[in-house]
Amino acid sequence: MEARTKLGELKEKFGGSIRRADLPGGGRMFVVVDPRAIKAVCGHIFRDMGARYVISIGADDRPFSGEYLVAHNFAFDRAKLLCGVLSYLPAERPALDSISDVVPAASWAEREFRDLVGIEPIGHRYPKRLVLPDGWPEGVHPLRKDVSWDHVPANFDGELEFKFDDPPEGCVVVPFGPFHPTLDEPAHFRLYVDGEVVRGCEYRGFMAHRGIEKLAESVLSYNDIPMMAERICGICGCVHSVTYVQAVENAAALRVPERAEFVRTIMLEVERLHSHLLWVGLACHIVGFDTLFMQSFRIREPIMWVAEKITGNRKTYGLCVVGGVRWDIGSEMAAELRGVLDKLEEEWRSVVDAVSSDRNIQKRTRGVGVASAQLVKDVGLVGPVARASGADIDCRRDHPYAAYDRVDFDVIVARDGDVWSRLVVRMNEVFESIRIIRQCLEKMPGGPIQSQIEDELPVGRMGLSSVEAPRGEAHHFVVTGENNRPRRWRVRAPTYQNLQGIPSMIKDQQLADMTIALGSIDPCFSCTDRMETIDVRSGHRRIWSGEDLRRLALGGRG
Amino acid sequence: MSFVSKLKEAIVCLRAGRVTLPYPARPREVPPNFRGRPIFDAAKCIGCAGCANNCPAREILVYDPCQEIRILKYLGRRCTYCGRCAEVCPEKAITMSTEYENATDVIGDVGQRLELFMSTCQRCGRCFKEPSALEQLKLKGYRFDDPENERWVFRSRAYLEGEKPVDDIQIEMD
Repeated sequence: MEARTKLGELKEKFGGSIRRADLPGGGRMFVVVDPRAIKAVCGHIFRDMGARYVISIGADDRPFSGEYLVAHNFAFDRAKLLCGVLSYLPAERPALDSISDVVPAASWAEREFRDLVGIEPIGHRYPKRLVLPDGWPEGVHPLRKDVSWDHVPANFDGELEFKFDDPPEGCVVVPFGPFHPTLDEPAHFRLYVDGEVVRGCEYRGFMAHRGIEKLAESVLSYNDIPMMAERICGICGCVHSVTYVQAVENAAALRVPERAEFVRTIMLEVERLHSHLLWVGLACHIVGFDTLFMQSFRIREPIMWVAEKITGNRKTYGLCVVGGVRWDIGSEMAAELRGVLDKLEEEWRSVVDAVSSDRNIQKRTRGVGVASAQLVKDVGLVGPVARASGADIDCRRDHPYAAYDRVDFDVIVARDGDVWSRLVVRMNEVFESIRIIRQCLEKMPGGPIQSQIEDELPVGRMGLSSVEAPRGEAHHFVVTGENNRPRRWRVRAPTYQNLQGIPSMIKDQQLADMTIALGSIDPCFSCTDRMETIDVRSGHRRIWSGEDLRRLALGGRG
Repeated sequence: MSFVSKLKEAIVCLRAGRVTLPYPARPREVPPNFRGRPIFDAAKCIGCAGCANNCPAREILVYDPCQEIRILKYLGRRCTYCGRCAEVCPEKAITMSTEYENATDVIGDVGQRLELFMSTCQRCGRCFKEPSALEQLKLKGYRFDDPENERWVFRSRAYLEGEKPVDDIQIEMD
């Protein structure tokens, strides 16, 4: 219904440019527009219709339609609608207007498809390489279908150092990362520092690529991918596996048994519990308050154990296959889970009670790393970061999936947009998660946990899925394909958008606050860096060469 | 008041007691359905290669040096312990054990090698069928891997293409 209204509005304004539209129902809309009008259409959707930018996808569709495909995905949160604006580009000249000046949040995604698929965003203001290292030769685009997954160009120079921008006048560069005590994963920030105050930064990341997307579309099969998707992230693995299977189910219009939906909901919330407890611990560790770090990890541990009991592993649940889940939650397990939740709720309440008036933490976090409501809109911040800035968005409510439409919960929102607000939002979301799991255990119906898939999955269908990960919205885009594997699978982890907000958040802040400001988005670089075909090792100025380090790691045997 | 909150935090800490486990001295018990290192039982294995076809990490290689012998090699190097092999095994020849202390300097420690004496079914050439259509889709015959160099090879690009040990077998789908 809503989709029809939105499409009507678009047709009225851009009638001639809209070539095709598909309203598959279930809160999805696909609009194919003329590439020449893409900027106007996206600008209208983003600015005038109030949509939230999700992600842009570039795909090599030449073997199938003879053209390149670009999709800009938007979310109408109030209307419960996910919308893909698609454009087909001719194979001989894959280029289209950049939308990044009307939709600033699209900047990274456009740089990414420029690197990986070779689609040129015309008029991009900062067309620097994002994903590929500087030593990668021009003109080789790993995600094109004619490049094999294990292709390494002959003239690839893994030792070449990155070229960085010059710092502004009067500023000193302080390198932060790739290996820094507060970063668990490699990412390199070059902070431009004036005295003690950060004036800006340049980011080079994508140093931990594992080529998962390329593998998925050339090696793995539909039911292999959930196990690999789980390895995208060390914390929200289950989120990615659920998002992927939901995207495939959405594309192929598969029904999932109701019990499987409840099991997915429960495990997603279990994951949120352990992730939020971990984050509160790490945030306290970053500001030097290790007492609470120890306590939240202690409180978190029973959650890990109960997950291990249900699924067979603490962290990598191996939960999803297309059409259902692999592990069931029996009545005994449910009783045990309830017991763990009761204990957790009591202990966490006493911690929250103690921390909420702790002035030491507040001194380090209030007014630090502020993200304004405008920044949330422009950069497309998601999750607790957006909710701490007053943006009332939550995919669990806005784009209901699994069993979230059958449970009752509140979306926690704070106003100040600083690190303290994010801490408060996350601490309170723990109670909502506990509430959701309890309701799920109550309402869980009987029945099978996997649906029988009798027919081949249809080819060339598109599916979107958004899941509220602990860090924000994880969004997957799938085009189904031949040989039992998708043609294109695009993962957008929440950190992908949140990291783009970091330069604005740390601007004019104290250098010492950089760590907690970065920590407050709960950055997950392995999520962001999920795709590439080779191991990128260049990018840090090192005394040891990569080969030396390898030999060192192997104890001289290598 | 910050003082009160510090006091409350102290109480949280004190009430916790001692939670550290005596880990290396006594490994923690794991639940019965724990997914540890997979153990292959050569007595039960029928060599259907369902595990090799379904392994997301492609860590199980299958090779037929001759018509009667099939070598199934589990490398275990980048095994993710997802348990798909044990799930699809029709003979339950694979068990996910409770072993989790698998770190090793010698990569061969975690690998397993099964040498199976095969008799070829004259009608179908293989005797394993996946339950769902989704799984059946990918069963196009054996993937001839390369256990000597410990790598798996794509059928389409295999250098074995010129001299296939057996013909590609078409699976009948009913």
